[in-house]
Amino acid sequence: MKDGTQWYFFPSSGSVLDHSLESLIHRLRGLCDNMEPETFLDHEMVFLLKGQQASPFVLRARRSMDRAGAPWHLRYLGQPEMGDKNRHALVRNCVDIATSENLTDFLMEMGFRMDHEFVARGHLFRKGIMKIVVYKIFRILTPGNTDNTEALSLSYLVELSVVAPAGQDVVSDDMRNFAEQLKPLVHLEKIDPKRLM
Amino acid sequence: MGVTCVSQMPVAEGKSVQQTVELLTRKLEMLGAEKQGTFCVDCETYHTAASTLGSQGQAGKLMYVMHNSEYPLSCFALFENGPCLAADTNFDVLMVKLKGFFQSAKASKIETRGTRYQYCDFLVKVGTVTMGPSARGISVEVEYGPCVVASDCWSLLLEFLQSFLGSHTPGAPAVFGNRHDAVYSPADTMVQYMELFNKIRKQQQVPVAGIR
Repeated sequence: MKDGTQWYFFPSSGSVLDHSLESLIHRLRGLCDNMEPETFLDHEMVFLLKGQQASPFVLRARRSMDRAGAPWHLRYLGQPEMGDKNRHALVRNCVDIATSENLTDFLMEMGFRMDHEFVARGHLFRKGIMKIVVYKIFRILTPGNTDNTEALSLSYLVELSVVAPAGQDVVSDDMRNFAEQLKPLVHLEKIDPKRLM
Repeated sequence: MGVTCVSQMPVAEGKSVQQTVELLTRKLEMLGAEKQGTFCVDCETYHTAASTLGSQGQAGKLMYVMHNSEYPLSCFALFENGPCLAADTNFDVLMVKLKGFFQSAKASKIETRGTRYQYCDFLVKVGTVTMGPSARGISVEVEYGPCVVASDCWSLLLEFLQSFLGSHTPGAPAVFGNRHDAVYSPADTMVQYMELFNKIRKQQQVPVAGIR
């Protein structure tokens, strides 16, 4: 492998209305690895670097609002890999970096500018290397003020993902099988990037 | 990490870089310092690609990406007079992805390598600074482990430095100056190395041939 740390990211997404959250959490507790229920409250900022290239370079900076001392998290997600159309999950190149707290100052110094930000609050589950996140997005009303937020919708987003070394395609079958077990509470499917354009 | 001072040792009159390093390490061994492995600090320079400059209307900036063997799982990225980011080694992978926006000036890669010496609470690292195949100077790093506030132990550090550097003892590093009571961090050491490397880069090449 040219680059030993090329990781692929497979998100399958769906959503549940607020009132169905409890049943979904209950089922996930049963299906997933036995661990203390983990909740999170994160603040994510999306930064863009514009160059002469047609599309800007996107980086996502995320910090925990409820865990003091946790490192900041910087993530790069590449374009979706066009490959096997029968593959049940979307695959993207992914680089994850833990950083010190001055990340936003540093990104600005590099020339990045913040495009948008939001707060995410929710629950985290694991099953083997699969990660299932059930969360709600909150819009930040005044830039930089994370205390003043407003829910974006009346539902929770559900995302099933895996980060694995390049080439481990067998993972997406496991994801499909798991997604089957969450029906009919939630319908998880891969997002077709063309539909979003 | 304890409070650390990084300075340059000039090459002794009529001697080579290697000989000066040997003089210094012999002095340390006579003091009673014990050899404890080796160390390496390296620095690569990146500059903003021309394509990004036009859209932002600002002069190109230099970004330094450094590694320190004392922190093998970390990578440090900094701008001169700007913030210093401590990140994990995946930052190097990100720089590869960013090559359209930041170009590496390969010829200016600079590093220092040498031996680590432990003397009671002091950790001393004497390194030969090289750019490519040529030796360009000598770096001396001294860390006083027990203390993390610069203003509390600078006098002690100075006294220790004088005991083996003599007249070549440096003044207080610029990083100490601004924040007297702030807790010292590895990023402060990397800033000192960046300043040292930049100074050495500007100096005339040492006339004696490099390490053979």
